[in-house]
Amino acid sequence: MSLPDRSSLSFSLDASDVDVADLGIPTAVYVHIPFCRRRCFYCDFPIAVVGDRPPLSRQENTDPRSFGTIEEYVEILCQEIRATLSGGRSLDTVFFGGGTPSLLTVEQLEQILITLDRQFSISANAEISMEIDPATFDLTYLQGCKAAGVNRVSLGVQAFQAELLAACGRTHTPDDIYAAIDMIHQVNLANFSLDLISGLPHQTGERWQDSLQKAIALAPTHLSVYDLTVEPGTAFDRWYQPGLAPLPSDETTAQMYRLAQQILTEANYDHYEVSNYAKSGYQCRHNRVYWENRSYYGFGMAAASYVTGQRFSRPRKRREYFQWVQELVCRGGAIDSPITPPTEMLLDTLMLGLRLAEGISLRDLAEKFGASVVEQVLICLQPYQMQGWVERSKATRQALNRLDAKIERGDRLRLTDPEGFLFSNVVLTTLFEQFT
Amino acid sequence: MTDVPVSRIRNFSIIAHIDHGKSTLADRLLQVTGTVSAREMKEQFLDNMELERERGITIKLQAARMTYKAQDGQTYVLNLIDTPGHVDFSYEVSRSLAACEGALLVVDASQGVEAQTLANVYLALENNLEIIPVLNKIDLPGAEPDRVKQEIEEIVGLDCSGAVLASAKEGIGITDILESIVYLVPPPSDTVKERLRALIFDSYYDPYRGVIVYFRVMDGTVKKGDRVRLMASGKEYEIDELGVLSPNQIQVEELHAGEVGYLAAAIKAVEDARVGDTITLSTAPASIPLPGYTEAKPMVFCGLFPTDADQFEDLREALEKLRLNDAALQYEPETSSAMGFGFRCGFLGLLHMEIVQERLEREYDLDLITTAPSVVYKVTKLDEEEIYIDNPSLLPDPQYREKIEEPYVQVDMITPEEYVGTLMELSQSRRGMFKDMKYLAQGRTTLSYEIPLAEVVTDFFDQMKSRSRGYASMEYHLIGYRENPLVKLDILINGDRVDPLATIVHRDKAYYVGKALVEKLKELIPRHQFKIPLQASIGSRIVASEHIPALRKDVLAKCYGGDISRKKKLLQKQAKGKKRLKAIGTVDVPQEAFMAVLKL
Repeated sequence: MSLPDRSSLSFSLDASDVDVADLGIPTAVYVHIPFCRRRCFYCDFPIAVVGDRPPLSRQENTDPRSFGTIEEYVEILCQEIRATLSGGRSLDTVFFGGGTPSLLTVEQLEQILITLDRQFSISANAEISMEIDPATFDLTYLQGCKAAGVNRVSLGVQAFQAELLAACGRTHTPDDIYAAIDMIHQVNLANFSLDLISGLPHQTGERWQDSLQKAIALAPTHLSVYDLTVEPGTAFDRWYQPGLAPLPSDETTAQMYRLAQQILTEANYDHYEVSNYAKSGYQCRHNRVYWENRSYYGFGMAAASYVTGQRFSRPRKRREYFQWVQELVCRGGAIDSPITPPTEMLLDTLMLGLRLAEGISLRDLAEKFGASVVEQVLICLQPYQMQGWVERSKATRQALNRLDAKIERGDRLRLTDPEGFLFSNVVLTTLFEQFT
Repeated sequence: MTDVPVSRIRNFSIIAHIDHGKSTLADRLLQVTGTVSAREMKEQFLDNMELERERGITIKLQAARMTYKAQDGQTYVLNLIDTPGHVDFSYEVSRSLAACEGALLVVDASQGVEAQTLANVYLALENNLEIIPVLNKIDLPGAEPDRVKQEIEEIVGLDCSGAVLASAKEGIGITDILESIVYLVPPPSDTVKERLRALIFDSYYDPYRGVIVYFRVMDGTVKKGDRVRLMASGKEYEIDELGVLSPNQIQVEELHAGEVGYLAAAIKAVEDARVGDTITLSTAPASIPLPGYTEAKPMVFCGLFPTDADQFEDLREALEKLRLNDAALQYEPETSSAMGFGFRCGFLGLLHMEIVQERLEREYDLDLITTAPSVVYKVTKLDEEEIYIDNPSLLPDPQYREKIEEPYVQVDMITPEEYVGTLMELSQSRRGMFKDMKYLAQGRTTLSYEIPLAEVVTDFFDQMKSRSRGYASMEYHLIGYRENPLVKLDILINGDRVDPLATIVHRDKAYYVGKALVEKLKELIPRHQFKIPLQASIGSRIVASEHIPALRKDVLAKCYGGDISRKKKLLQKQAKGKKRLKAIGTVDVPQEAFMAVLKL
């Protein structure tokens, strides 16, 4: 393993640093690891459930119906990486998401990183993130990950109450969370994030506050706080109705959202995206790529990519994905997917950019899509500004309707926190209505 | 086209239920008689299918002239006159049948007689038509020609010993059918020497030539260049073009009694040459018109409002254009405080309404809000004045009216025995009065009820289909007006009375309908940032109330790389839904809400 040490190098990317001349050649990579011990009741991701036993190696696995081994998957994944055309830019971020990436062995993780490095070259100061779940790893494993290059981990905590964890089908207990944090501290992975979910069945305002405070006490550099969405086809979808017991009411979950904003902001976490908080300098660089509507590679089953203007989602079934990789190899790495048309690009930019606290730069928007588009956006958002959901940052809180006001550098349009964020779909729907 | 003596003309139509093989049989007849070559046939068949799919039942093969050399060595002219297949258009059916001397009754040998077929058979019998039963699809493994024959004999009372066994698809029995037409269908009466009387059985608007009129010459002769008078409309025209349909239009100089053809005479709209009207010569007019003409009378009314007020003029233009080709469509401007400017439109029935709506939205690209259909009520005021009300919100208050009468229809259903119970339950729940029930062969049953039309124009048909798993069929016809204790049920959204949601219901059902309606509206109206009370009232008395809780949040919690496309679709769907909202006061109401009363 000859990757440079990048564990201490992590910083947030300020909006002004965004490469305006992004030619659609990514510097970000998402790698999907679609294995879990069991499926959480709220999850609709394409994953394979492998159970509590360590997955069989290929020699032992004789059941043709089984998902196949993780080993086999990693090989195909690496084939996909090797077949993908490199645009000549080195990678600034790599993100292992899942599923449960911590079900990979250290060797498999290294194999993927080495393959990526050979294909694209990973920058010395790249952010290499990995989602890990409590009770799926030990100290040696974590050390191995760090040695392999991982310098940021995101721990799937979700809640600190055993009953709540059980109610959403998680495999871990609160004790597992603390054990995981201890190990993270021991290997000195200073940059770590915790995931929490609000709106879980049987969750109350007090329990939510308790989870937030316990999370803060663990001093993560970053927190992701999601309001539960009951996705179609999930167990929760079959069992519950949103807003009805045992799920908390919308009123309660909206309060939970405001509470998180208040408590975490007081604890010096910057609410930089609808569901994300970070200490200064610790925003997730990889995820910002999405919200800034920049390009990224995606590797693995069901992974999405956005390369040279083409959005593409890989097949969601293992066999089809394997097949697709073989075809990709045959085609010499070309992905045949339509270039995102300008209107769609505009909608993507608005929908993603308004998730960020800093919002979108009106100047960039005007440069990319024309001044009249900015004008239309401003007109159509006027009512929401009066409502206090939308604001314009620069030009000293210039009224949105002052269309003649010059758009200066740093003049941004954003949703207010927390009210604008809470109703962001209402605002976005209006924009979608305007531009479709 | 050679001249043909009246004795060698046969005019017939085909009566069949949807899917029982009418178009295939018609195509096969055209092919076997050499009217259309096999190659053309294929193209034509496909075109027809596509058009029919596109426009529902409005496009049809109106008529076709075939020449057929029969086994007796003589050459005959066979005119096939097509009929629309839906109860909404039974008047048009009756006129088409009046133009014929015979009809093929085509029944799927694997299924049996359906209610709509039966209704048309009765129309044919009323017109003294010779009916030739044809059992189609006998090649299918499930075909039971004997059972179906027995059924036809029982229900229709028609001797089926001479029924033709056929498979239009496989080309079986086609010659038998043609021979039966020649020998069983009587020739038209030879009235060539009499004054011209021709029956209009169809017409359509052609933007270049004006209205194209399809007619059957009943008496006399008509020539190109003749000046003709339409006896009902009183208008006169000079014939620019005269021809026959084979099935493409082929111009001829002259047509005489017994023949079927078309004419063009710079007629501006189909209402000037309505189905059932009689064509005669201006110079030598007939003294009395052909019997049976009636003006189309709309049975069902609804309000059509553009979602976007700017589209009002476009809507007016579109309706004008549709009316050129659809004399049964009525409309007049309507203003509603809730909906703004729109039109109150009258239709022959629900299908007719759906077709018009669909065409307005698709062909004229209009976004419309349609209010729930209403029937026409007869209201007697205290001063004995009788008025007709087709818009519930205009019903005079109770203190000004003596009584309300509503139209009743007789609904005839044919169903497998096992669904009789559930269909009776359905009919009774719609205030139906039991009339008759007959057991037919093989566990099939006819069921007749008298039901208020208002109860039928809701989802009665859908309910009948779903309760019988699609096996039952129905037909209905108007039988008159009856007095009932009816009340107006108003709906209030956020305290405001919403006219387009008002309905007229039976007093005994008012509470139930009110409750169900506010519950349905609660489902359909999206949440707003404030609490919205929903109420149903009769006069000032609130009979049901609900409320839509305020919207507390609307946010996509997660949105990462893989999610973008999916989340975007969600937003696009929401945006699309939003475009179809109508602002009523401060509340945005979706289009479906105005039809909610149909889905209770």
